[in-house]
Amino acid sequence: MLVTSAQLAHTNDLDLIVRHVLAGLGHGLHAGRERGAGVEFSEYRAYAPGDEWRRVDWKLLARADRYFVREAERDSHVAIWLWLDATASMGEPSRSVSGLTKLMYARTVLACIAAVAQRQGDAFGLVVCSGEGVRFTPAARGPRQFHRVMAQLAKAEPEGMLPSTDTLRTNLHFARAPSLIFAASDFLDWPSPQAEALLRLRRMRHDVRALCLQTQAERDASFTVDKAYKDPEQGEGVFRFGSDVAAAYRQQREAHFDQVIAACRHNDIPTLSACIEEPVPTVLRSWLRLAGRA
Amino acid sequence: MISLWWFALPVLLLPIWWHRQKKERTDVAMLATARFLPATSPEQQRVWRWLDVVLLLLRCLLLATVIAWLADMVVAWRGDAVLVAPGTTDTAWVDQQVAQAGFKGADRIQVPEADVFGWLARHEREWKNDARLLLVGNVSMPAVRPQLAHAVTVRAKAATVTDAPHYIAIVSARPERWTPLFTALDAPRRFIVTKKPDAKSSLVIWDRPEAPPANLKPSLWWIGDASAFPELKNAKTVDGLRYVDSARGRLWASRSWPAADAQAARDQFETWQRLHFAPVPYAPAAQVIPASAGASHDQASGALRSLLAIALLVLFALERIVAHATRR
Repeated sequence: MLVTSAQLAHTNDLDLIVRHVLAGLGHGLHAGRERGAGVEFSEYRAYAPGDEWRRVDWKLLARADRYFVREAERDSHVAIWLWLDATASMGEPSRSVSGLTKLMYARTVLACIAAVAQRQGDAFGLVVCSGEGVRFTPAARGPRQFHRVMAQLAKAEPEGMLPSTDTLRTNLHFARAPSLIFAASDFLDWPSPQAEALLRLRRMRHDVRALCLQTQAERDASFTVDKAYKDPEQGEGVFRFGSDVAAAYRQQREAHFDQVIAACRHNDIPTLSACIEEPVPTVLRSWLRLAGRA
Repeated sequence: MISLWWFALPVLLLPIWWHRQKKERTDVAMLATARFLPATSPEQQRVWRWLDVVLLLLRCLLLATVIAWLADMVVAWRGDAVLVAPGTTDTAWVDQQVAQAGFKGADRIQVPEADVFGWLARHEREWKNDARLLLVGNVSMPAVRPQLAHAVTVRAKAATVTDAPHYIAIVSARPERWTPLFTALDAPRRFIVTKKPDAKSSLVIWDRPEAPPANLKPSLWWIGDASAFPELKNAKTVDGLRYVDSARGRLWASRSWPAADAQAARDQFETWQRLHFAPVPYAPAAQVIPASAGASHDQASGALRSLLAIALLVLFALERIVAHATRR
């Protein structure tokens, strides 16, 4: 089942979209959770809504009259971190699909990755950079964590600017354990505290993968002509777009992203540039594949 | 004729224009990649500001009232009217004339000025076009035919010359030379000759060397003996008559006084009558003065000026209050 960007624009139910996307993705993208005979039983845990029924220990239910879930899997040691840039510039809407923004797209993609991580039994956490601050959801496993992350993602609104370098540094304490970082941003600010933090994480031997989101209009320079534009993150100043400046715009924009991609490549950060008008599963698959190759 | 001030009405466009507000273009779209575009200055545009429409209305009204005040706006509202000239005392006669002319239900207006036709010309715009006018009473014949837009029926009756006597004091050693001047008069006025001047005396004939009492101030002195009146030394002379205005009153003196013959006495008397008494008006015969096509209405009447001034004051106060309230 293919989730198009238009469908994405028509629903706020992140959970529903994630199910659709994952149904379309199928299984086997990553090595699955190890199950079966060789796995040691570790502990019982009280049932929480969202747990799979097949993991409920029915004998224990008969004895104790309570639902318990067997925590028997060997957990992956790699934590997955979802990095969402929710600054004002991520509120950039698609000029062709109404109601769709970069942030909406980014959080859908990250939610899908969270779902994959949850399915694999990996611990996953969320970092949301928004309004000059960082909202941090510690990494954990299980369906509750999935709902927590989904709630945080759904709550994210495009506002403010990126947090300062110091703020980010104090929030990078998760970086002790080896982790896999999926960062979705528009990377319009480069160099920036966010770029610094990602490069720093990469230098600390974390696996960082970046998704650079754009709109089709941004790529084609197909904005409405003779209209005043304003940068959402730089309050002052008005900008003009016209056919005479389209070429210069394209050139500057390409130069900027060339610099971003070059910096990422130099630091061995696999980066995927995607348009938010593209279907989510395609982009998600490309990103995961890119990451897998890296 | 319409006053030229009405051409100032386009001034009303000024507050309307000023009530457009300069505003920065608000249809600015957010664009994340705006940083790759050239910066431009924010465009200004004027937008209509209808929020304080009351203020706009007050300002326009204020200006319109000022123009109306300057243009001396007149509203034709009077219908048939009977104009009673001042000094008309015989009301029974007036009623009779009104009934005869068929103006029974008409408004009766007491004209405040002696120049009835002049007043009518100034106020004529207040009358409707089909209004009939009856001018009645002590109307004096104008020198030229009045140019009026309405036909005016005139029923004139000269006022009776006042019976109040004129007191003449003759202070002289030879009163027999002066007295005949007044005794043989047949003018419509009565003259009473006294020997002792008092406050009632309008003419004092002083023919004595001593000075007159200081409190005596008639309007005219005839001086027979100028020794008590040093002012006469610098007096101007017209036809042998020396005259000067002094603190006591107007002094007249002549070498040929008292008049020796009848002609000199008549000249002296006529000069006095001509210069010191208003002419007795001539009452025109009953007639209808037809409306003249060339009647000009450019004379100001000021009939609505006081009303407009009050309106102006009220509007100004309201405008100030509303302007203050909207600024808060």
